[in-house]
Amino acid sequence: MDHHTTVIIGAGQAGLAMSQVLSAHSVDHVVLERGEVANSWRKDRWDSLRLLTPNWQSRLPGDAHDETDPDGFMASAEVAARLAAYTSGFGLPVQTGTDVMSATSDPAGYRVGTNRGDLTCANLVVASGACVTASVPAAKAALPSGIHSATPLTYKRPSDLPEGGVLVVGASATGLQLAREIHASGRPVTLAVGEHVRAPRRYRGRDIQWWMDASGLQDTGYREVDDLDRVRRLPSMQLVAGSDTLDLNVLQAMGVRVAGRLTMIRDGHALFSGALANHCALADLKMNRLLDAVDAFAIKAGLAGETDPPERFAPTAVPDAPLLDLDFARGEIRTVLWATGYRPDHSWLDLPVFDRKGRLLHDGGVVTGAPGLYALGLPFLRRRKSTLIDGAGADARDLAHHMLARLADRQAA
Amino acid sequence: MTMQSAASVTDDAIANRPMGAIRSFFRRMRGTTHSIHQSERKDVAMNAQTEIKAADNGVNVEALLGAREAITGMPAAGQFKWRTRCDWIDGVHTQSTVDGFFGLGAEQERNARFEITTDHPEQFAAKNQGATPIEIVLSALGACLTGGVASVAQHRGIQLRKVTAFVEGDMDLAGVLGIDADVRNGFSGIRVRFEIDADATPEEIAAVVAQSQKRSAVFDIIANPGNVSVTVA
Repeated sequence: MDHHTTVIIGAGQAGLAMSQVLSAHSVDHVVLERGEVANSWRKDRWDSLRLLTPNWQSRLPGDAHDETDPDGFMASAEVAARLAAYTSGFGLPVQTGTDVMSATSDPAGYRVGTNRGDLTCANLVVASGACVTASVPAAKAALPSGIHSATPLTYKRPSDLPEGGVLVVGASATGLQLAREIHASGRPVTLAVGEHVRAPRRYRGRDIQWWMDASGLQDTGYREVDDLDRVRRLPSMQLVAGSDTLDLNVLQAMGVRVAGRLTMIRDGHALFSGALANHCALADLKMNRLLDAVDAFAIKAGLAGETDPPERFAPTAVPDAPLLDLDFARGEIRTVLWATGYRPDHSWLDLPVFDRKGRLLHDGGVVTGAPGLYALGLPFLRRRKSTLIDGAGADARDLAHHMLARLADRQAA
Repeated sequence: MTMQSAASVTDDAIANRPMGAIRSFFRRMRGTTHSIHQSERKDVAMNAQTEIKAADNGVNVEALLGAREAITGMPAAGQFKWRTRCDWIDGVHTQSTVDGFFGLGAEQERNARFEITTDHPEQFAAKNQGATPIEIVLSALGACLTGGVASVAQHRGIQLRKVTAFVEGDMDLAGVLGIDADVRNGFSGIRVRFEIDADATPEEIAAVVAQSQKRSAVFDIIANPGNVSVTVA
């Protein structure tokens, strides 16, 4: 049976960044990938998807990539091509077409079962992605038959959906982007809005990601936040590639109808929360605090003179009497699109490392109670940007150092 | 008793989230290490002032945070059952009694029992012995949100001087009287208007009120559907 010092599962940005860092430290390892390099970017994204972060922000360890369009936004195929070039450029040891079915403890550390046989390792890095399955609320079970149901992982383009109205559930970046393109395709959209994170695409003449990067907001560490569990569950910031803001006001101006959070489906009716106004007020207040922080940074960093003046945006418009009850029998809604978040798939990890809600227990990616087991690429794993391509390198370096110290200890012992 | 208190206070930190990063950024720029001096807090923060002010709204935030931590570690302790008993007096005059409840894994007693009397006004051909049940509902909403405002403000270091919630609900009697099947029995809309005098900016006050709604049990009960089962013994 093959043995490696380290096995990395997943050849996305997180696994590849770790592979590059380990290569630089001459740590023997292999990256196992179920499909091709950047498989999710090739297969599990909708057609129009582009990154939420500008090209300059897609930095990977050691990558001297000469950015021709720093302010552009990559399409998913371009991300896949970039990651493939990164892999070949560094000669990273990726074994494609290798489906991991299990991981168990072993005298050597861990034993990884794959469709190509088993291998053992002292260290195991789980980098199989944060967006592997669609998280869909229990309400879906009560959806009347005949109503088409889709998730962002199955959805590719509006024309795949039946003609007629679409209920998009969820107001993250995904929910807003899909609501926009589906509504524009002539399928009237109703958008169910719960807690959400609003932000302008550009602020004071610069991309919001530039501000968040320069001010250090993206580098906020997981130990610096007071309620880590909560920030790890926050929906993505409402953004779309380009220079235009995408928020609930933009969608409503297009004719999208907004309702409160979908609370339940009962007797063929979708019932929405009456708390829409407060969810919008909370998002507006939080956006303004973000902009306050940016303004404070601009003054401190001496940027106030060279950037546009501070600005505050119109509050989110809320209908006077938002929709509370939608009767599917009326035929107005033909499809429900569940943009209600994603989850990793760790079902193959046969180790006692999960909390009562099935989430991996870890301290900044160092899995609890399983020496040598690491996780990468999960929300706010070690810092705010942990799930960005730009965050993969810093997290990989941190965890590689932890791993190297562990290996040195074992050698000394 | 406001159910929202324990959880809402912790969200305060989230609301001020950007400051942690901004503070650490300035810390790096200054080349200092871990300690954050008070002067530093003052000059960077729009909300950091709340950390260095001592406010007293009479809410024991530490106890609530302790309860939150305890229940996080032992979820069964967080399973509560609230009860009231309602006796018919005469006409639409009723009297409800509130005493024990179940929680923290056991039946709980309190050192007093409370009575809530309801009736209807003379305009409804009743004797006006108490508020109507729907006014009790509006009162419960106002009370829950107001208690939440005090708790959130306490945790944010905001001293309150006066808080008043004016609660108003719209009702078309064609519903309860069975005149029009398209009209619901309950409120078609409820408005809460707060008047708050506090040591805080209008934005900070708005954030406290928003957070109070976010964690209010009664707000949730009213704004979201729930299942109710009624049986006869």
